[in-house]
Amino acid sequence: MATRTQLLFLSLGRRLSQHLKESVLAVQDYILLTAQGLNALVTPPRYHQELLAQMDSLGVQSLSIVVLTGMFTGMVLALQSAASLDAFGARPYVGRLVCISMVRELGPVLTALMVTGRVGSGMAAELGSMVVTQQIDALRVLGSDPVRKLVAPRLAAALIMVPLLTIVSDTVGIFGGSLISIFNLKLSWEFYWRSVMNAMVMNDLVMGLLKPLVFGLILSSVGCYMGLNTSGGTQGVGLSTTRSVVVASVTILSSDFFITKLLLILFPVA
Amino acid sequence: MRETMRAILGLPPRPAPAPPEPPPRARDSDEPIISFRDVHLAFDHPVLQGVSFDLAPGTTKVVLGGSGSGKTTILRLILGLLKPDAGSILVDGSEVSRLGEEGLRPVRLKIGMVFQEGALFDSLTVGQNVGYRLVEDGEMSEEQIEGQVREMLGFVGLAPLYDRMPSELSGGQRRRVAFARALVARPQIMLYDEPTTGLDPITCTTITDLIVKVRDLDGVSSILVTHQLRDAFNIARTFMFRRNGEFLPRVVEDLSTLEGTEFMMLRQGQVEFRGSPHELQTSDDAYIKEFLS
Repeated sequence: MATRTQLLFLSLGRRLSQHLKESVLAVQDYILLTAQGLNALVTPPRYHQELLAQMDSLGVQSLSIVVLTGMFTGMVLALQSAASLDAFGARPYVGRLVCISMVRELGPVLTALMVTGRVGSGMAAELGSMVVTQQIDALRVLGSDPVRKLVAPRLAAALIMVPLLTIVSDTVGIFGGSLISIFNLKLSWEFYWRSVMNAMVMNDLVMGLLKPLVFGLILSSVGCYMGLNTSGGTQGVGLSTTRSVVVASVTILSSDFFITKLLLILFPVA
Repeated sequence: MRETMRAILGLPPRPAPAPPEPPPRARDSDEPIISFRDVHLAFDHPVLQGVSFDLAPGTTKVVLGGSGSGKTTILRLILGLLKPDAGSILVDGSEVSRLGEEGLRPVRLKIGMVFQEGALFDSLTVGQNVGYRLVEDGEMSEEQIEGQVREMLGFVGLAPLYDRMPSELSGGQRRRVAFARALVARPQIMLYDEPTTGLDPITCTTITDLIVKVRDLDGVSSILVTHQLRDAFNIARTFMFRRNGEFLPRVVEDLSTLEGTEFMMLRQGQVEFRGSPHELQTSDDAYIKEFLS
């Protein structure tokens, strides 16, 4: 006869196993949704108007926050690095450090996180609202495939616009660093920009443009998945929105490590 | 691959992918247009248990029942939005429970659905909502679509609202726009999910008149899910005919002479009653008596 402790462990084991199964199934469904969304990008019918609307919402309307984030990140990076580099008499390397940090890491990651907060959550909220008000059912009944109509344009918009926003962020960040270098650190304009140009190599550009592609896919697919899996009315919409930001942000930050590791193996720094 | 993973995880297998569906055979005119045969469905608990019924062409079936009795689930099963665990569902000769999304498309084209709250697309205007299916079909020019949409909005009495957004409409107007959207492609079957719930009595009458018009003037078969008894009996006893271009109603007071409308009552996922409005009203069943009181 099982003791109470054994029964407790048995019950805990069952719950853990159930939770694990549900998590694995959620990952499976997420991968299937993303794969179907990507497949819908390359097969007709396509919804061009929807794509343009999403590019406007995701890209153009995110421009101001990306510019502000990039500018202040570049400026604070110049200030902080100058303080550290001064200890080694290496202040002239500020431009190099700002450039490499922005292009390789801070530009892609901060842009993706800002877009996740602004747009990824919006995707989850919009699709979640459509689920709870039966608009997704109505779409299916009226002959549309929700993956083609809703998911594919959002994935495409993120794949196009997040890299473009990252380029803007990098450029503005390096420019912000130059303002601090000239007006605060008393370096010359030419010296700063020569240092930036000397620092930039092809590997940096590859890394700086590959990451936003992956991050764009993550933030849009997580937003769509969370939105389409909404249940429980308006409270469920709120929950999906929060989850989408948390899951996408953590996934972006953790995948950044693995992408960096892989790219450093494929394209070692000279 | 997915089945392998589900087997490893100890989860029940998903329904097997449907084999290529043979083209639906021609249906005899007296064959039911919708047929449920011993349909079972369960989520965490049983939702439908052995539900069977037929809908004859040109007739109306009113599905009554308390909350959670499985009324709306029946409509979702007909549309292929849900798949049954067991049993078969035939819609105009096609077994919808075996069809994938692509196979369901031609079946769904025969059906118009009015959702409970309208389910209008928030980002589209009233005109775009109503014309959505025609645009998706891609078989008509923009001018033809606009003409048909305006005609349909005129039918539901909302022609001036063509350019409005759904957020600017009242509850009753949203329901009527949803009605126009469901009707615009001239479906053979109409499904109504609680079309009058939460509306004032005058708007309820407007909606029930529309349901009767579509049934009597276009010969559309319909299933009405509701728990509004007054509206259900009004639909059963009212008939609409056209004289000199005007729609005129005829109300039959004696329920025992009514034809064309069958009532079905669900209780905890099972059919509790099936019969004419008169049989429902005179039933000795304690649950039905309580429901009607």
